[in-house]
This record gives sequence, C-alpha cells and structure tokens, in this order.
Amino acid sequence: MMLSKSNNRVRRLKLDPSLIIVILLLAIVIVCGFFLNERFGTMRNFMNVLEQSSGLGFASIGQAMVVIVGGIDLSIGAIITASTVFMAAVVDVHPGLMIPMIFGTLLFGVAIGFCNGYLTLKTGVHPLIVTLGTASILNGSVLIYTLQPTGGVPYWFEEFAYGRIWNVPISGAVMIVCFALVWLFLHYYQTGRAFYAVGGSPEAAHLCGIQSNRVILLAYSASGFFAALAGIYFVSRTGVGDPRIGDPITLSSITPVILGGLILGGGKGNIFGVLLGVIFISLLSNLLNYMNISTFIQWVIQGVIIIIAVSVYVHKGKNL
Amino acid sequence: MNDVTVNLAKGASRRFQQITQFIAPISLLSLVSIATLLQPSFLSINNIQDILTQAAPLALVVLGQAFVILVRGLDLSVASLMASAAVLATAFNATSDAMIPVIFLVTIVASACVGLINGLLVTKRNVSPFLATLAMMIVLQGIRFYYTQGAPSGSLPEGFRVLGAGRLTGIPVNMLVFFLFFFILGWLLHKSSFGRRVYITGGNPKSANLVGIYADRVIIICYVISSLMAGISGLILVGFVGTVDNWVGRGYEIDSIVACVLGGIMLNGGKGTLWGAVTGALILILMFNIVIILGLPVQAQLIIKGIIIIFVAGLFSRSIQT
Repeated sequence: MMLSKSNNRVRRLKLDPSLIIVILLLAIVIVCGFFLNERFGTMRNFMNVLEQSSGLGFASIGQAMVVIVGGIDLSIGAIITASTVFMAAVVDVHPGLMIPMIFGTLLFGVAIGFCNGYLTLKTGVHPLIVTLGTASILNGSVLIYTLQPTGGVPYWFEEFAYGRIWNVPISGAVMIVCFALVWLFLHYYQTGRAFYAVGGSPEAAHLCGIQSNRVILLAYSASGFFAALAGIYFVSRTGVGDPRIGDPITLSSITPVILGGLILGGGKGNIFGVLLGVIFISLLSNLLNYMNISTFIQWVIQGVIIIIAVSVYVHKGKNL
Repeated sequence: MNDVTVNLAKGASRRFQQITQFIAPISLLSLVSIATLLQPSFLSINNIQDILTQAAPLALVVLGQAFVILVRGLDLSVASLMASAAVLATAFNATSDAMIPVIFLVTIVASACVGLINGLLVTKRNVSPFLATLAMMIVLQGIRFYYTQGAPSGSLPEGFRVLGAGRLTGIPVNMLVFFLFFFILGWLLHKSSFGRRVYITGGNPKSANLVGIYADRVIIICYVISSLMAGISGLILVGFVGTVDNWVGRGYEIDSIVACVLGGIMLNGGKGTLWGAVTGALILILMFNIVIILGLPVQAQLIIKGIIIIFVAGLFSRSIQT
C-alpha cells in the first residue's frame, strides 16, 4: 500500500527480527554439516535436498497464507491424499488426459480450499474444527475408494519430481518460484497486503474497507491450490495415488511456518522465512540421516526445536 | 428503543442458549432410537456393556480435554501420552499383581510431569497451546519409538486385564473407573471453588488475574488434569487390548476435541459443562457403532464424523452469534 517508502527502506535494511531465529538455525546446521560429514557440503547433496523438500514446501506455502489471515488448515494432508488418488486414478484410465488433469487436480484443490473458507465464514466455527471436518470427509471418501496405492501416471511425468535443468531440480525450482510469487503478492499487491490487515484484526480491516471475507476465502483457496500442487508432486515422485501419503504432512507443514516467524493467530511474518524453515527442516533431517541418527530421535529433535523456536519469542499472541 | 431491542436480543440469545444445552442430549437420544430401530438388539444389556467398555477410554480423555478447552487451551498430546503411558507400564515387565500399584504410581507421576511441562510452556512462555502440545506430542512419540525401537514388547500383570476388560457384577470395570473420575472432576468443576476459577479464567484470563485468581496456576492444573486422564486412559486401553502398541489411542486427540465441541464446550473458553463433553463422547462412539450396524464400510465413520463436526459446531457457534 502507500505507506511511506522511506519507512519501508529502513525496515528492509534492518533484518526482520522474526527471520533471525531461522537464519541462525540454518547457519548452525550448515556449519555443523560441513564439519561432521564430507558428503553433506556438496552441491549434489544440496540439490537433492532441494528436490526432496518440494512437497513439504508447497504444503507450507498454503499453510502460511492461511496462518497469516489468522486461520489454520488441518485439511492439507487430506487434500494432498485426495488429489494424488484423484489424479492417478483418472490418468490410469485415460492416459491422454494427463495435461488437463494437472489443471483439474489444481482446480479440485482450490474447490476444497474454497469450501473450507466458505464453511469457516458461514458457520463461524473455528477453522481448526472446520478443516478437521473436511479432512475427515476427504480421508473417509478416499479410503472407501481404495485402501492401497492405485492408479498410475505416464513415465515421463516423473520429470517433474526428478528432472533437472542445468543440474537444478525442476520441482525445487518450481517451489522457489512459488515462494517468490507469493512473497511478491503479499508485499506488493493491495490484496496481498490485505492478508496481513485481516490477520491482524478482521474487524479493523473491515472498517478500513477491506472485504475480509474475500481475503479469507482467497487464503483458503490458495491453501487448497498449493496442497493439490504438493499432491501432484507426490504423484510424480511415486507414480501412484497413495491413500495415506498426506497424513504426516498436515502437521509437518506447520513446523516451517512457525520456525519462519509466522504467528498462529495471524497478521505477522514473512513468507521468505517459511522457505528458510522448509530448507532448514530438510537439511536437518538430511544431516541427521548422514550421521545415522534414527528417525525416532529426529522426531524428538524436531519437537524440541519447535518448543525452543516458539518460546524464544514471547508472543502476546491470540489463542489458538 | 435501542435498550428494548438489546434486551429482546439478549432474551432471545439466552433462550437460544438454553435450547443449545439440549442439542447434545437430544442428538444422543435420537441416535439411540435410530440404532434401536435399525437393530432391535441394540438395547440389549450385552451390547450396552460393550459400547460402554469402548466408550470409557475416550470419555476419560474427554474429561481432561474439557478442562483444558475451558481455559482456552487445546491438548494435542493426549493420544501420544496414552501410548507412552502404555509403553511405560509394560516396560516393567512385571508378572505379579503386587507390582500394579508401583506401575500405576510411576505412570501417573510421569503423565503429570508431561502436563506440567505443557502448562508451564503455555503460561510462562506464552507458547500457543496448539504448538506446545503439538511439539510435546512429537517429542513423546520420538522418545517412545526410540525406546521400543518400533516394536514394543513387554508384559502386564493379569490384574490390568481386569481393569480394561473385566466386569464387576455385569458392570464393566473401566466404566466404574470412568464414573469415579467423572464424579471427582464433576465435583471439582461444578461444585468447588477451583471450578469457578476455571470458568472465570477461561472467560477472561486477564480479568481473572484482576480479581485475584492466579490464572497461570489454574491453567497449569488444567493441563495436569488432562495429562493425568490421558495416562489413566492409556493404562485402561492397554488393559483392554491386552498387548502394548506404539499407537495405543491413535486419533483420540482429535476425537476428544470433537467430543468436547459436540458437547457444547466452546473453543474460546469459559463455556460448557463436563456432562456435555461426556455426552459428546457418547455421541461419537454411538455413531461409530451405528455405521457398523448399518453394515457400511468402516471408513464411512470418517465421512459421517466430518459431516457431524461441521454441522453441530455450526449450530453451536450460530447460537453465540445471535
């Protein structure tokens, strides 16, 4: 918006304080990695990590947008699952529909996200409960359709997950482009700035002439869109529609959002921090894998990091 | 004129709230009648005993969850804590019933510590309850899996089986345990001064502080109660199943929150009764039961659960808005 430009410039010179913690964590992991393992610090490894982190990355962008407007989306995992099964099942029968189905799946995600937003606004129920409800419906429907991975996609579609252009993974590049576009949108577009206003206080935003309802609908639809994109990534990676693939991603999509300095309750935070959070989580698990540390200990470490990261900043936040 | 309309609106909303108090019991009754119509043997003593045995672990967790939600919190760590309590109890590898009190004591103290940490994080560090308990859930899960290396083993004394699946002159023992805690916690919440402090703190923590209530302390105690209930429920469930599993009580964190919401406990704190929450738990369990009576696939439970969540929660929040 038209807030004085000089003010903006000053703020950009100073490092955004909410980013400090994730940058510190990232620095610690990278420095430790270089010392602890010689294979960690290679370009090849970084590119692999970038490739693997895309699924989480896509899911986190959507989660971040919903968190900024003051909500939370617990249906992301279910949307991912549903879109992988939807896509793989249809393409398996009609291989010619591959390209239209990419758009179809994205549209499907948007539709579910829109439903989430609409129900939240219309019923006034806490988004936590609404999205749990839609997640439950989606998961139930998918599990009635199939209990094991089904369907399939043409072989060439693997390129999206595994392909490289000039040694840069396509999926990773798409993820970074998505983050950049969302960052531009949130910071330089009126509707994007309205996200923060609505997250800060829907009533105040409404009084300023922002149509809060539309912004909230847009946020949930975007979350559905990015969840479907994550679903497409997983189809391309595994080649099948897996009715359980999304389950763990719902909660793990929240971790990078929190590490990146966004606050549950809304109105604050930089989407760039979320990208750093995604990269941090992926690098950390990559390093711990190199060090032969079991997944179970990695869970403990992840939990402790969430606690530390969140309790370093004492939020005078709203409840969630 | 304004005053009149305001008063009218107030009266209407109060009446509406009085009506909403009956939503949960009425839907429970209608579910029971639907089930009886579909399957006349539903009301047989055997089936009721079975349903109560299934409902007891969830209802126990719901009792604790209700306290946390009343003070504007959420406890996502309950399911993980249930499984951890079960693993801890079997870690003793005890065979004689004499060990039961020791096992009980250790598990309960450990559960209380988890609740204490949750409460301290939420109050002293201002971490949002969602994140604090989410992180606790992940940490507990990691510790549990690391200890069991993914394949839990260990045995329980025979006495535990009685606790989980036994009958005392026809009444399931775990139901008796539930009633015991229902009366204790019901007294605590609705009759004692602590209960009033819970409602005041949930209504507005800041004003609670101003009237001389240590809001932090109340909130911490609520988290400890929730964790205690989860620990006890884990012990009962492991006694019911007979073997330990890393995922004992999986999904109970969500189901217990849903039960509270169905029972009319508001997520923004300070409103609702323990009785309502337990009704919510019964509605959930009955609904699962009806899906099976109807011969639908088990996965249909998820769909119906989702629809009920959105629909009933919508009814309740509409009543607040008016």
